[in-house]
Amino acid sequence: MDSELIQQIRYQARDLLESGTVKGVIGYERASDGLTARPFFAYEPAAVERLIFDETCSHNLARYLVDKKNEKMAVVVKPCDSRAINLLLNEEQIKRDMVFVIGVTCPGVVETSWNHKDEELQARCKTCQLVEPPVYDFLANGEAVERPQGEPYLDVQQMETKPITERKAFWSEQFDRCIRCYACRQVCPGCYCPECFVEQLNPLWVGIRIAPKENELWQIMRAFHLAGRCIGCDECERVCPVDIPLSLLNRKLEKEVKELFDFQAGLNPEEQPPLATFKKEEKLGFEE
Amino acid sequence: MNSEYQPKIIGFLCNWCSYAGADMAGTSRMRYEPNIRIIRVPCSGRVDPILLLKCFQQGVDGVLVSGCHPGDCHYNEGNYHARRKFALLRDLLDYLGIGKERLRIEWCSASEGQRFVDKVSNFTKEIAELGPRSGS
Repeated sequence: MDSELIQQIRYQARDLLESGTVKGVIGYERASDGLTARPFFAYEPAAVERLIFDETCSHNLARYLVDKKNEKMAVVVKPCDSRAINLLLNEEQIKRDMVFVIGVTCPGVVETSWNHKDEELQARCKTCQLVEPPVYDFLANGEAVERPQGEPYLDVQQMETKPITERKAFWSEQFDRCIRCYACRQVCPGCYCPECFVEQLNPLWVGIRIAPKENELWQIMRAFHLAGRCIGCDECERVCPVDIPLSLLNRKLEKEVKELFDFQAGLNPEEQPPLATFKKEEKLGFEE
Repeated sequence: MNSEYQPKIIGFLCNWCSYAGADMAGTSRMRYEPNIRIIRVPCSGRVDPILLLKCFQQGVDGVLVSGCHPGDCHYNEGNYHARRKFALLRDLLDYLGIGKERLRIEWCSASEGQRFVDKVSNFTKEIAELGPRSGS
């Protein structure tokens, strides 16, 4: 028996498609292993029966909106994913009237792999404070969710307190493994530049040679381009084929932005992002 | 420390204040460490973090970015934006083990030749003490 939550999503999706309000609905369906979830585009009212939602729905579907700018789409989003919609609205990448947001109250998601799902929640879900999406047109209400109130930056703080040589060794080891497949970029809702700096040939910012230094440059710039923009969906970390702890890098910048500028990305589409504005009186640790 | 070691330092100086400040130091025949290689940029706000990272990647030991004093920017707000950007980059570099000491942000006006000399000498000395960026 499908849960109440799924019934609500399907009912709303059918309604939207039958009335012609949207061209398609982006949601989740059961993957062919019969256990995990995969993204699904429903264009026919009959197809909505394939829509599901459960703890294996880890993907951030807001990413697809960037490629569907000219068609009105509905999208199923968890609270964390919906922050990406706010980000894209703030950066004028999508129009609010071109997207119908089906929000879900999220019980947290688990790590999955083919034919396997973990019992435990993902690390980010253990410290997530959002139960409802900050932006939605329709809210599919599941069972009441209780949120564990964890400290979100515990591992970042641990990394910060390590001696500098250890930090250097740690990150060198991580970046050495990078194969620069750019999956982290492809999956990121914030990485939508038509031409990424790594693909520019003149100047050649990142060389094509296989070298730790080139990996490092790519990784640092990727993280920095998301400073104050990363919404913490951890999709980059999920898709990384060599398991680089990208969230440990992203959340460092998230923490600094929060401390220095009191800002969190994707909570309010009207708020000026921290690197697009400034305060004249702030010093930020630089002497005058 | 190896007495032969000479740190390599790149300075990004804004056209309107710091570059003129360096010019002032030169025309006044002041002496400062020759380790710094100066690149003139239109504004400290123009300095993309990738330029600094590219410097570090190419084996530079320290990078100095110097612009107009806050409030004096030729483009009114370029250095305010630079300040926010580099505040984050500084913390990120430290986190990654590159070290925030290797990135220096200074404000220096066109008339402050002596200040420029002091800052550059000071920075060069600190980088020399840190030594080369090992195994990077």
